[in-house]
Parts: sequence; structure tokens; C-alpha cells
Amino acid sequence: MEYKYMGSRGSGSMSWFLQRISGIVLVFVIVGHFILMHYNPEMGHSFDRVYERMQNPYYQMLQIAFVVLALYHGLQGVWNIYRDFKFPSWLNLTVFSLLIVLGVGFGALGIANILHF
Amino acid sequence: MYQKSPTKEWTSNVVRYKKFSGSWAWLLHRITGLGLTVYVLVHINTLASLQEGPEAFNAKMQVFMQPHWVFAAWILFGLVIYHTLNGIRIVIIDFGKGAKYHKQLLYGAVAIGLIVFLWMGYIMFFGHDEHDFLSRAVSFFS
Repeated sequence: MEYKYMGSRGSGSMSWFLQRISGIVLVFVIVGHFILMHYNPEMGHSFDRVYERMQNPYYQMLQIAFVVLALYHGLQGVWNIYRDFKFPSWLNLTVFSLLIVLGVGFGALGIANILHF
Repeated sequence: MYQKSPTKEWTSNVVRYKKFSGSWAWLLHRITGLGLTVYVLVHINTLASLQEGPEAFNAKMQVFMQPHWVFAAWILFGLVIYHTLNGIRIVIIDFGKGAKYHKQLLYGAVAIGLIVFLWMGYIMFFGHDEHDFLSRAVSFFS
């Protein structure tokens, strides 16, 4: 197929940029997550401790942001890898739809877990 | 027009391609990224037991506190720390002048990563002291 310049809008530059930004935010969140959850086994593995933390609405907001950013960064990453290969367009559409469904489905489940408290 | 790629040739090209440190960093970043994405999905699914109440959640968590699961979590932490530190390296390369010293950045990332990985292993297996300085700091903020 002959290359035709379609402008920079569809070049993927925005997803490249958002992948970097979400990655930078995740670095900070994941450091806090590991200290909070794994510094001793009680902290991440006891319902009571989770319940205590979840009483703070700002903590819940942070957790929702974490779920959304982690899913976005991960699934966008899978799409980036997929796009390095050449596949038929029906498969592109199928994989893209599957990633959207996974993102929305697991995002909803993760947010439901958090808002349950 | 889509043309089927000769997969066999593609695989051998990739395997034979001379890989320098940057290629390994790139490849490992992708492998760890794929692993972590799958893990995020599994993790969210596991935490759904929070909605079933304390008994269900605590019972599930008891399983993950068995030594071989703690070991698995430690290996998972290895993927996280590599992906995090190499991710910082990528940001420095893309947004700063890291392309000039990307090899040094990788060596630094691996060195820091190994130290943090071993330290985390010590904490996960032996560091269950409620009274050391970081535990007290964490309880203060949480």
C-alpha cells in the first residue's frame, strides 16, 4: 500500500505521550502501593486493614485512579506491541475491541471493589 | 493490501539480530509489561473477594501468605522494579538527553533494581517487624 501522509493526528503521538505520563504517575503510586501492602503481611492481607484505609474518600479516589491508569497503561502497552506486527485488519479490529472490553470490564470490577466500602 | 509475512524467516531474523544492551532493555520491558498487564487483570479479579466480606477475603489472603506464594510475589516485584526503573530510563531518554547515556542509565537501573529487589525479598520473608522505622512511618500516614 502506498504511503500517504494523513497529518499527525492519527500518528499515535498522543498515545505515546499519555503512555509516558501515565507511566510517570504509576511510578509514584506503585512505590506507595508496595510500601502500604507489603511492608508487613498484615497490611495488605487483612480485611480490617483494607476497611480502615478505604474509609478515607481521598484514598478511594487514589485507588480508582490507580486502577484506571494501570489498566490504561497496560492495555495501551499491549496494543503498542501488537501494532509492531503486521496483521490483517479484521484481526486488528478484533484485538482492539477485546482490549477495550477488558479495560472497561476489569475497570468496572476494580472500581466496584473500591466503592464497595 | 495485507500480505502474509514469512513467519519462520521473521523469527530467525529476530533471534539472529545482534542485540546490544538497548535491545535487551527493550525486549525485557515488553516481556515484563505483558506479564504485569496479565497480573493486573488477575489481581483485580482476586480482590473481588473484598465484596464477599471479611471471611472470604481473609481466607483467600491466607493462601497468598504461604511461602511459595510470597516467593511468587517477590518474583512479581522483580518484574515491577525492572519495568519501573527502565520506564524512568525511557522517560529520561524521550524527554531529556538520556539518549546520550542510555547504556549508563540501564546499568544504573539494573544495579538499583537488584539492590531494591534483594531488600524487598528480605522485607517480604524476614522483615515482619511492626516496630521498625518504616512501619511506624506507614502507620502514621495510613
